[in-house]
This record gives sequence, structure tokens and C-alpha cells, in this order.
Amino acid sequence: MRKFILKYLIPRIIQFLTIIFVGITVTYIIPRLAPTDPVEAQISTMMAMGSSLDPASIESMRAALTDLYGLSGSPVEQYFTFWGRLLRGDLGPSLDNFPTPVSKMIGQALPYTLRLLIPAVIISFIFGNLFGAMSSYYPKNKALKVIEVLGQVVRSIPYYIVAIVLLVTFSYFIPIFPFSGAYPIGTRPDWSSLEFILKNLEHAVLPAATLILVGFGGWFVGMKSLTSNIISEDYVVYVETAGLSKNRILIHYIIRTAILPQFTALAMVLGTVFSGALIMEVVFGYPGIGSLAIRAIYSNDYSMIMGITIYSIIGVAVAVFLMDLLYPLFDPRVRYQ
Amino acid sequence: MTLLSVKNLRAYYRTEVYGISRTVQAVDGVSFDLLPNEIYGVAGESSCGKTTLIKVISGNTKPPLKVLEGSVNYNFNDYKVDMLHISQDELRQNVRWKEISYVMQGSMSVLNPVRKVIETFRDIVDTHERITDKKKFLEQTRAHVNRLGLPTDVLNAYPHQLSGGMRQRVAIALATVFQPALIIADEPTTALDVVVQRGVLQMIREIQTTSGNTVLLVTHDMAVHANVADRVMIMYAGRIAEEAPTETIFDAPLHPYTQHLIHSLPMIGEKSTKASLKGAPPNLADPPGGCRFHPRCPYVMDVCRTKVPDLISVKERHRVACHLVEEGAL
Repeated sequence: MRKFILKYLIPRIIQFLTIIFVGITVTYIIPRLAPTDPVEAQISTMMAMGSSLDPASIESMRAALTDLYGLSGSPVEQYFTFWGRLLRGDLGPSLDNFPTPVSKMIGQALPYTLRLLIPAVIISFIFGNLFGAMSSYYPKNKALKVIEVLGQVVRSIPYYIVAIVLLVTFSYFIPIFPFSGAYPIGTRPDWSSLEFILKNLEHAVLPAATLILVGFGGWFVGMKSLTSNIISEDYVVYVETAGLSKNRILIHYIIRTAILPQFTALAMVLGTVFSGALIMEVVFGYPGIGSLAIRAIYSNDYSMIMGITIYSIIGVAVAVFLMDLLYPLFDPRVRYQ
Repeated sequence: MTLLSVKNLRAYYRTEVYGISRTVQAVDGVSFDLLPNEIYGVAGESSCGKTTLIKVISGNTKPPLKVLEGSVNYNFNDYKVDMLHISQDELRQNVRWKEISYVMQGSMSVLNPVRKVIETFRDIVDTHERITDKKKFLEQTRAHVNRLGLPTDVLNAYPHQLSGGMRQRVAIALATVFQPALIIADEPTTALDVVVQRGVLQMIREIQTTSGNTVLLVTHDMAVHANVADRVMIMYAGRIAEEAPTETIFDAPLHPYTQHLIHSLPMIGEKSTKASLKGAPPNLADPPGGCRFHPRCPYVMDVCRTKVPDLISVKERHRVACHLVEEGAL
């Protein structure tokens, strides 16, 4: 146990922190290389709106905004102020919805995104891998062939097209699902009422279906190519001659070994969930992180973009870290060392 | 009484790619019997049809391999099995592993890399005899493994934790859980160093003596046959060249091919260079007519080029297919 902590856990934690540190530093530098100045941009927007201000008050506003955005002092000083704020959980105010804090807005949007994406990713992972393995183990099965063709077709169509097709079909031609949003217009989010939760589920069906369909194709193709090598491995042929049932071979001998690289991929996908499903959320008008990010990009909301990027970096780093810790449980050939 | 009787077996690989069909005559008119309680060796160079023969007699014929004619009949203590016409279900339930088990070529990699050895035992035992009592299963498996001289620890190991020789022994232990009437071992010692080879061969020999079953041992290594086999069949290009008790094969081989094979074996203290046989084994997609050995045979006669020699019995239990022998020249 002591050896595990010293030789495995601590290096992994250091690696984890380094990834976050480097990632956030890069996110800090890149917007500052952009040729636009958020303070000037803000002031010129105000001027353009027609408010006439005297030079003195413009000057004082410029100073206030510079301070507020954390842009006062030399770049190095700014960098340290930035970390100081970040460690206190302060991502600054949203520039677009001034003065609502970024962390509050993300906090409101994140649950919608997670509730939609995590189940969708897991469902597509399970079914995609299962059917992918089955289709290479039972190459003559007609139903599986049909599924494979459908999966390939859906996968090769851009996912926003799939989204629009589903939307038009199931809320316009056959109006069984709502058109847009995460809950009916005019209701207030209330997670204690069952009615509201059901309404939210109803609104999530089409975006989830799109994500599952597209994700399914990806996992299916990946698993099929992984298993196509494994079905001719000696240990599979051997248990076939030993008379084991096909199902037992499929689960314990084929899927069990082929799934290992898929777990790593799953961790990565779950990590990127924190940056939302950008275009999907826009198409369905879903109030998640993706919608937030799009709006922030349109309105030059630097602190919001940085806030979302930081969440995403932390999400991926945590997922990779957990996968590192859990992987030896799935694959006995990998040891903690 | 015979355990297995193979008669005039012809098994070809037929492939058709872009309208061009190709036939590989991998096993062409092979007849032999296996007796209970013996170790029967099959020898021959690579691609002479050894593995194809095993596939057919163990019921693993899959396209493009096709049996054209012949019969493969087993008699397991009055349970008769026609291997070429048995249903897949019956084969799976009653024959595989209970009567015929298989130690595969490349046994080093027959174990699932992410499954403990005991789990593989459990899978195989559970398939043929539902495990109801887990404790009893564990006890019996431990006893079985110990009887074969393997430590109980191997059961709780993953394959990558075992050495090559150990994995091969585990594969043999897996093949013998049900005391089958016939164990087919395909190149069980290939890729092992000689010391480990000896251990594995001893293990096979011991299993055979204690349980009195039949072992069909396939290897190109004549030294292995000399050590363990009771009878040896020499295959050449999909046909039987010669079959005799091991001593006869090594002391008085009749077929020119067998003679070359035996004389090429190094002897202790001998320093002369070994004469190698000219040419290469024929392409079985387009084998030579007549005796398939004639292009390489030093004693070739006109008849060899046109007529296929019959496999004739020269002595009791000694059969050879050569025109020289037929004509009494040898």
C-alpha cells in the first residue's frame, strides 16, 4: 500500500496537477494574444449605444473595467492575480451578463448538460460496443448487418444534420416531442416537482437520441475493428474447440479483452462532457454549457470562455486520472508501479 | 478393437477469389486406425497436411476446408460417432473435451490474457458438466492439477504470470480434465526449450500411462517421436508415406523419404555432414502426378511418374507406399 502511494499515486497526482496548471496557463495566455482589448470593446459598445459621456468619466470607467477584468498591472502581476482569484473559485464576472459571476452561470447550465450527456454517452457506449462485438462474431446475422449499415450511415452524416432531421420529423411532422428548450416556456425550474422532471425528460429525448445515434456508430465501428482481430486469436479458437457456448465466448473472451481500449476512450469522452455539446444544444435550444459557450464566443465574453475552458480542462484531467487509477482493475497485465 | 478408423479421407481447401478457383489437396486418400492406449505420432514437414488431418478428425472442418470423400468413425466404449455426419450440438455436448480434447498448436497463447486460469477451467467444466457445487469443483481441479505435478498457485495466476512451459502444461491439464479417450496434441513442444520439452513430454507420457487413453501426437520433430511415440506415421504432401512402430521406423525405414528423414538426424559422436534432400515439397495446389515424392526421389523409376503407389502392408503393423517396395526391390 505504501509502495502504491509512493510509486503510483503521487506521480499520478503530480501529473494531474501539472496538466491542469499547463492547460490553464495556456488558456490564460491565448486570449491575451488576441488583437482585441475587452475594455476598449466594452467602452466602444457603450459609446455606440449613444450614451454621451465626458472624457473624465470614460477614463474612470476604463480604470474600473481594467481592474474588474483583472487587466491592471504587468502581465506577470495579472497572472498571479488571476491564479489568486481562481483558487478562491472566482472566475470573474461575465462580461456579457455583467455583473453575474461566471461560476454562477456555469453552475446553472452544467446540470442540464450533465443530465443529458452522461446518460447518452453511457447508453451509446454499452449498445455500440455490444452490437459491434456481436456483428464481428456473428457475421452472417441479417439483423446485425442492418444495424451496422444504419450505424455507418448515421455516423457519416454530420451530427447537426441528424439533429435537424430528428427535430423536423418528431416535433414538426409527427409532433410528439417539444421543439426547443429544456422545459416548457413559462415554467420555472423546480427540481422537487415530479411533473417538471418529466417535462425535462421529454425535452431531453430528441437531443439524447441524436447523441446516442451518433455515438453508437462510433463505438460500433471501433469495437468491430477491435474484435475482428480477437475472434481469430488462439484463445478464442481454443474455447470454441472446447465447446463453450457462443454467448460465454462473446462476453468473457471477446468483449472482455476488446473493451479495454474502449474504456480509455470512454474516460476521454466523459471528460469532454464538461464542455457541452455545442451545436446540439444550439439546435435544440437546450440551456446547457454548449449554448453558454456559443453565446460567450459571439459576444466576446472572455471570462466566460475561460471559465468554460477551465472546467473542460479539469474534467478531462480528472477523467484521465481516474482511468489511470482504475485501469489495472480491468486489465490485470497492467500493474500499479 | 479400434478407437478411430479413418478410411480413404480426402479433404481439400477450395477457395474462389474473383472467379479463379483454387484447390489445395491437403489430405489426399489417408487411411489409418488408432488403437486404445497408445501414443501415435504423425510426422512430416510443414504444409504436408498434418494440421488439416487433425482438423478433420477432431470435427473442426470449416470452409474453405471441405471433406470430399472418406469416413472418420470413432468407437468410444460402444458410443459410436461418425465425425463427418454428427450434429454440431451432439459434438459439442458429448464429444468435445469428454471424448476428444485438443492441445492446440501455439498453446502458449490459448489462455485468455485477462482471465485467471481457474476461470478457464470453470468455463470448460461448466460447459460440459454444470457446476453445482463450487467447493467440490475447486477441490477436484486442485487435485487434478496437483496430480499432473503443477502447483495449485497456477490456478490463481493470470497467463502472463506463467512461463511458456507452465502455460503449455496448463493447456495439457485443461485438455485432460475429463479423462478423454483421445487427446490430440498438435506441436505441443514447438517453441519450448529442450529442458522444458522433456518435462512436457514426460507429462504427456505419464498421463497416457495412468489413464490409458490414446494420444495423437503431431510434430515435425523426429526426436520427440523417438522419445514418446509407440507408432509413427510419416506424411508427405498430403499422403501417408509410411507407418510403423517407432523402432521399425528408426531402425529399418523402407520409404526413401523416411530413410532421408532418419539419416538426417544427428548422432552423438558423428562428425560427417548430412546430405540434404534436393528440392522442396510440392505445391499442393498443383501436386505432381504419380508418387508425389518422385521429383525428389533418388531411386525414381518410370512407373513412379504415372502411377500412385498403394499403401501396402509389408509386415504386421508396417505399411509403406512405394513402388520399389511393391516390386520387392527393397
